Amino acid sequence: MLLRRVFSTGCCAVSLILAAANFVPVPVFASAGFQPPNPDELKMTSEPLAPGAPAIILYRQVDRDDNAQTPHEDDYIRIKILTEEGRKYADVEIPFFRESEDIVKIRARTVHPDGSIINFEGKVYEKIIEKGRSSHYLAKTFTLQDVEVGSIIEYYFTYDLREHYVYDSHWILSSDLLTKSAAFSLKPYTAYYSTMQLRWTWHDLPIGSVPKQGPDKIVRMEASNIPAFQTEDFMPPANELMSRVDFIYSDELPENNPDKFWKNVGKKRNGQLESFVGKRKAMEDAVAQIVSPSDSPELKLRKIYDRVQQIRNKSYELRKTEQEVKREKEKPVENVEDLWKRGYGNGVQLTWLYLALVRAAGFEAYGCWVSDRREYFFNPKIMEPYKLNANVVLVKLNGKDLYFDPGAEFTPFGLLTWAETGVIGLRLDKDGGTWIQTTLPAASESRMERRANLKLTDTGDLEGKVTVTYTGLEAMYHRLDVRHDDDVAHKKFMEDRLKSQVPAAIEAELVNKPDWSGSGTPLVAEFDIKIPGWAANAGKRVVLPAAIFTEVEKHIFEHANRAYPIYFEYPYEKIDDIAIELPPGWSVNSVPPAQAQDGHVVAYDLKVENRKDTLHLTRKLTVDFLILEPKYYMALRNFFQAVRTGDEEQIVLQPGAASASN
Amino acid sequence: MKSKLCCNLERPVPATRSRTWLSLVWVIGCILAFVPSALAGGDAPAWMHALVNVPLPTYDEKTDAVLLYSETNVTVISADKMRTQVREAYKILRPNGREHGTVKVPFDAQSKVSSLRGWCIPAQGKDYEVKEKDAVEQAYAPDFVLASDAKVKTLQIPAPDVGNIVGYEYEVEDRPFFLQDIWDFQKADPARESHYSLQLPAGWEYKVSWLNHPEVKPTEAGNNSWRWTVSDVSEIKKEPEMPPFGGVAGQMVVSFFTSSGRALNANIDWDTMGKWYSDLVGERVDASSEIKQQVATLTASKTTKLQQMQAIAGFVQHDIRYVAIELGIGGFQPHPAPDIFSHHYGDCKDKATLVRSMLREIGVDSYYVLINHERGSVTGEMPAHNGFDHAITAIKLPDGLTDSSLIATVQHPKLGRILFFDPTNDLIPFGQIGGYLQANYGLLVTPTGGELIELPQQPSMMNSIQRTAKLTLDPTGTLRGDVKEVRLGERASSERWRLRTVTKDVDRIKPIEELLGSSLASFHLTHASLINFQQTDQPFGFNYSFESPNYAKSAGNLLLVRPRVIGNKGSGLLETKEPRRFPIEFEEPTRDTDTFEITIPSGYVVDDIPPPVDADYGFASYHSKTVVTGNVVDYTRTFEVKELSVPVSRAEELRKFYRIIASDERNTMVLKPSP
Repeated sequence: MLLRRVFSTGCCAVSLILAAANFVPVPVFASAGFQPPNPDELKMTSEPLAPGAPAIILYRQVDRDDNAQTPHEDDYIRIKILTEEGRKYADVEIPFFRESEDIVKIRARTVHPDGSIINFEGKVYEKIIEKGRSSHYLAKTFTLQDVEVGSIIEYYFTYDLREHYVYDSHWILSSDLLTKSAAFSLKPYTAYYSTMQLRWTWHDLPIGSVPKQGPDKIVRMEASNIPAFQTEDFMPPANELMSRVDFIYSDELPENNPDKFWKNVGKKRNGQLESFVGKRKAMEDAVAQIVSPSDSPELKLRKIYDRVQQIRNKSYELRKTEQEVKREKEKPVENVEDLWKRGYGNGVQLTWLYLALVRAAGFEAYGCWVSDRREYFFNPKIMEPYKLNANVVLVKLNGKDLYFDPGAEFTPFGLLTWAETGVIGLRLDKDGGTWIQTTLPAASESRMERRANLKLTDTGDLEGKVTVTYTGLEAMYHRLDVRHDDDVAHKKFMEDRLKSQVPAAIEAELVNKPDWSGSGTPLVAEFDIKIPGWAANAGKRVVLPAAIFTEVEKHIFEHANRAYPIYFEYPYEKIDDIAIELPPGWSVNSVPPAQAQDGHVVAYDLKVENRKDTLHLTRKLTVDFLILEPKYYMALRNFFQAVRTGDEEQIVLQPGAASASN
Repeated sequence: MKSKLCCNLERPVPATRSRTWLSLVWVIGCILAFVPSALAGGDAPAWMHALVNVPLPTYDEKTDAVLLYSETNVTVISADKMRTQVREAYKILRPNGREHGTVKVPFDAQSKVSSLRGWCIPAQGKDYEVKEKDAVEQAYAPDFVLASDAKVKTLQIPAPDVGNIVGYEYEVEDRPFFLQDIWDFQKADPARESHYSLQLPAGWEYKVSWLNHPEVKPTEAGNNSWRWTVSDVSEIKKEPEMPPFGGVAGQMVVSFFTSSGRALNANIDWDTMGKWYSDLVGERVDASSEIKQQVATLTASKTTKLQQMQAIAGFVQHDIRYVAIELGIGGFQPHPAPDIFSHHYGDCKDKATLVRSMLREIGVDSYYVLINHERGSVTGEMPAHNGFDHAITAIKLPDGLTDSSLIATVQHPKLGRILFFDPTNDLIPFGQIGGYLQANYGLLVTPTGGELIELPQQPSMMNSIQRTAKLTLDPTGTLRGDVKEVRLGERASSERWRLRTVTKDVDRIKPIEELLGSSLASFHLTHASLINFQQTDQPFGFNYSFESPNYAKSAGNLLLVRPRVIGNKGSGLLETKEPRRFPIEFEEPTRDTDTFEITIPSGYVVDDIPPPVDADYGFASYHSKTVVTGNVVDYTRTFEVKELSVPVSRAEELRKFYRIIASDERNTMVLKPSP
């Protein structure tokens, strides 16, 4: 179960509240001020490192001072406008949280290519983004005047941070524009009576850029030519692709050795875990109600798993208002015994209940904290405990490590949520634990199977029955998507899903009631469908495509250029098995040859068989990888082009006496 | 006003009232004992409890909620002060109906939310109550607006679950710009019972008009007050390509005035509204010396009036950056032209103001046209009301000035020939207007008043793609060759718009890749270039060359070739189970042509070709044919949209039309070995 860390959306996240100190700040950083216009920059019309860019950041400076009494951050930015579209960067919006900061000392100006300067003398507006009882999320907005292509716009401002607080902070180097040059500094909070320590981690910095702390304790870094960040389909989490430095304040003693660091983390978390699950007697009584002594070990694990998933999981309920929560009068769950008695818990607690129960049933089992790969890819050398944010249970069975997460709703027995698969985690024990890697399910475990019995009419329509079976993670995510909806919405959801898989207008009617509440059972949807005019006219002949459910693959990787790795959430398979009965009197002139593409981590097979008056179409597509380097992009693109080519192979039919028409 | 004039594309709709808070009229009330509910213990008020057991008709299974009761009480206190009280209650029928638990009450610098409370009566258990202190304030302007005083108070009512009843009351005090209100009683959910009350000061009168609903007579409630009631109003479910909601929903427009001061009401008729706007603008069009100098510079080398107008238009389109600052009356009133010029930015009405100012310097008269960017929001049949969210310019063409580039013109009985021009849209050439303006209704504002006029519909040829390809097929089935696409009108501006946001040169081929990807299983672009990307007064286009392996499919010794190589015109828009309820709206008239010349490989001859298609339904037509001449196959097709709206009664014809196109697009020719 994923444990979500709460992030604020402003520039800073509150970390710790400090006691007021008798500390006289030394104003080591003055506001950056405007820089004199540089003739080369004024003349510039394009940037070779960013051809076609609407604008580039010529220079950016961030100077932060975390002293206790006048903490603040000075920000300066200078932007060269290269195209008409780039003029939008003259509209500036700086969000901030009123509770913890203000924006002051805003100065801005426009410098024309001839060097003339127009100081900003307009109004700075304050915009409410959201203002409630306890939070004021606002933005300062302004726009520079007389901005034209070739202009340089520059502005600076100061975040006036709340006194006597320190905040974690971040240098996010990447932006949607290329940054030619940037300089950053951070003067850490220090007090001789405090154990507060600052440490920092970084990711994907430009070559030669490393934050360094000087003798004056100030951390500084310079960087140049930071590429613009962009988005692409099937890309890894943005955090993994952005250049950044994260500063973390901690009141713990500094530990530079990752092994020792994680041992300490592991011991602390193990203590918390054992305190929660250490109710052996209660758990033994509970297990006795769930399993029978004669059950096989696997059956026991499964029965316990199913029982835990039946317990009310509060993590998946609709968000409730304060009043609703208060009225429920539900006591907090302190341990697994509480959970078992009260019949509710959150996802993390339910997964730990499973651990306690399987241990009580005699299994060797461990609690593990793993790193969800939705937002980050975990690296233990970067000592960030909060990134171990999802809990799973490891059970040793017949020499194998099996992983479970029943606290994640609809997760089938033996699987984890996609973000928990194939990731590093810490298996907890009293000695601090050991590193593990969760299993990555095979593509065959998350499958979409489409079986169809269809008839081709002599007017070229295709109609009949289709059964779609989703298994594994494919079923799980469908169930999660619509878990709060009713039958009407479920029906529309499934019908829309099917329609989106056919490259033609289609009528589809769901005719069964899929099992939306299960987790281990496949999700089976049965449809009556009609595809008007599916057969194409070829004069006296009629042709049919060799595959039907091809729309999704039609638009994958259309573009030749690729900047970032290709990232899939989990391996999967699609299997189609389709029978098409021909109209009476029709015959098959030819069927396409079988197609087979084996790209090692991707595979595709297509076959058309002519069985007298029925065509039998089979298709299998397997995607069996999580991430591929960009250098493999062209090979992958070629593979999907081959898939599309195969899908468009044609079956040639000869109508009977009455010709097909559409 | 319904909306400020800031080129509004889409505003969030308040849960409570579908009209925006900016409606001129904001309301009052107090008649009919509308006393804010004072209750103990957080119980829902009696008026909500009275609804718990009301009998309801059977709604279809897709109905999310039913508006059990709605009451809007508007009290006009004086010409500059109004009060509106609203109470509404919904029964939640489906999970999607939970959204009614979120109440949004818009306000701005002219208005104040003086009270706000909400309740839930659960099917079981005690009632819930939330108050104004539980609400949050949020910005309520589109992202593209830099500064706005528009805000919304959002209150979350607990437990808006299926089977429960949620309700709320609020009161807004308003200093209106216009003495008019719009009661929008027809919503996305069915409404069981809705009331609207109006109380006017002694001596005041009102005028009502009903839109999309038969007129309902009020009952007099005494003390110069009236009450209207509608019951069992059906819901309006969204359909793709339907007219704008405001153009089909039942509404009552009510204007009020003193018996001696109809002119105080800017919305009494279109003429008065035009006069009001003209007065509001006042002398803001007057040029400064800097503007005069700029006009002189722009026009110095231009020898004709048309060239001078084009130079000014291009300057305002391209050099004046779009920035919207909507504060108070600034939502309607443009900035003075000198300020706009010195800042080099402004919103739609600012751009219209500057272009007017500059044109005046060359002796050309022009006028504001207030309009809604969604055609159908304001129609010729509607009474005067401000459903406008955009401002453009109508230019009085000098006598004798004619030019083939001046398309968007009408002959005005008094002003002569006028040309419509939208200086905010920098992608449509001077002389033309975008599809969103064509056949749309706008308020022409002249110094002496205003009139609602219909803008012209441009010929379909003005919005077109002409695609020609010269292609060669080799014996292995690979198709290769060159394609040229010439795009006009919106077909051009939409691509330019998309390409201008591209941040890397290498990404400029992506539209071509996507076009080819939608038609070809496998392809490699071997060359691609843009035509007139920056020259917006010229047709835009693509030139590209591609190679598509395995384009022709082998079938025994035959080769199967789809002659429609690129482009898709079919649509599944009407492939739904539910019968269509509203007309289908096209964005603009369109005429696209494809001409593909395919040279077949030596050793093959054409054995069979698909039949020609000729489908003409009046509102649209489609023609295609495949002609073989020696070893060359010519495929040509024309797709034309002639009318902007297809009535519901012809929806089935449109569905058939799209099916015919889809079928033709799949059709195949057969090549066989030469004898």
